[in-house]
Amino acid sequence: MARRRKRRVQSDVELNLAAMLDMAFQLLTFFILTFRPAPIEGQISLRLPPPQAVVVTKDAQKAGQDTKNTNPVQGVNTLTISVFADPQSGTIKSLNVGETQVPGLAALGGKLKEVFADPGNPFDQVIIQVSDTCRYDELMRVVDVCTRQVLPDGQKLSKLSFVEVPSG
Amino acid sequence: MAGRLSQEVKSEPNLTPILDMVFQLITFFMLVINFKSAEMDLSLKLPVVGSARPVETHGQRGLLVLNIDHMGNLKNYGGVVQNVELYIAREAYASRLAAHIESDDKEAAQDLPTTIVIRADQATPFKMLNRVIKACQDNGFRKFALKAVNKEA
Repeated sequence: MARRRKRRVQSDVELNLAAMLDMAFQLLTFFILTFRPAPIEGQISLRLPPPQAVVVTKDAQKAGQDTKNTNPVQGVNTLTISVFADPQSGTIKSLNVGETQVPGLAALGGKLKEVFADPGNPFDQVIIQVSDTCRYDELMRVVDVCTRQVLPDGQKLSKLSFVEVPSG
Repeated sequence: MAGRLSQEVKSEPNLTPILDMVFQLITFFMLVINFKSAEMDLSLKLPVVGSARPVETHGQRGLLVLNIDHMGNLKNYGGVVQNVELYIAREAYASRLAAHIESDDKEAAQDLPTTIVIRADQATPFKMLNRVIKACQDNGFRKFALKAVNKEA
C-alpha cells in the first residue's frame, strides 16, 4: 500500500478584531456617558436629639430642693441660641445667646467661647431656635460657629437641637 | 507598450494597539465609576461652610441621603417623595430591622445606627428642613450629617 504523504500547509490564523473593537467602543461610550465625577463635599456631623432642655440632678434630688442654688440656670446644661431671620430675604436679622443679644456671627463666636471657657458653666448642648423663614445657608453659618466651640472637657460641641419659631 | 497588470492589494490595519488602548480606557472608567452618586441631586447648591470636613465613612453602619431642594421637596433618585413621613418611617423600619439582625440586643435599637445625610439647597427655608429633621427624630434617627462645601465653586 502506497504511503500517502500528507502535505502540511502552514497558514496564519488571523482573528477578526473589528467585532471586538466595536464592542469595546460601545462599552467605552457607555462609561463615558455615565461618568459623573462625584463633587467634593464636606459635612458637619451632629447628634441631633429631639429638642428638650436637660437638667442635671443629683441622686434622689427633686426640683427646687437645692436651696443653695440661687442661679436659675445652674443645673440646666442646655444653652439656647435664638436666630431671628428677615421674613422676606431669610437672612439673619438678630442673634441672641440666652437673653443677651449679640450683634453678629463674629460676636456670637466670641460670646460662646466665653461661655464655654468658664468651667462653672455646665452647658454641653445647644438648642438653636430658628425663624421658620431662615435660609439654610444662614443657619449653617450659625451651626458652623457652634461646632467650632470646645467644651470644658476638651471635646467639640456636637449636640445641637433645632426649634422652629414662627417669624413675625 | 506592455500592459500593466492591476494587482489588488488588501490593506488590513493592525487593530491590536487601538484595542489595547480602548481596553485601558474601559478599565479606567470602570475603576472610577461611582453608582452611589446617582442618589445625590447634583443640581442642589449646597451652603458654603468653612468647618465642613471630608466625609468619613469609617464606623458608619448605614447612610440615608436626603436631598431637599429650595422649595422643600424631598428628592430621592430624581423623583419627589410625596409622603415624607411615610418614607422616613419605612427607612427607619428597615434600619431597625437591620440593627436587630446584626445585634442580639433587642433593646439597643432605640437610637438607630443609620446616619441621615442631609443635602439641602442653601435657599431652603428652615421650616421645610425642620419638617424632614423632625420626621427623622420622631422615628429614632439621631445621627445627622449636614452636607456643605468648603469653598464657593
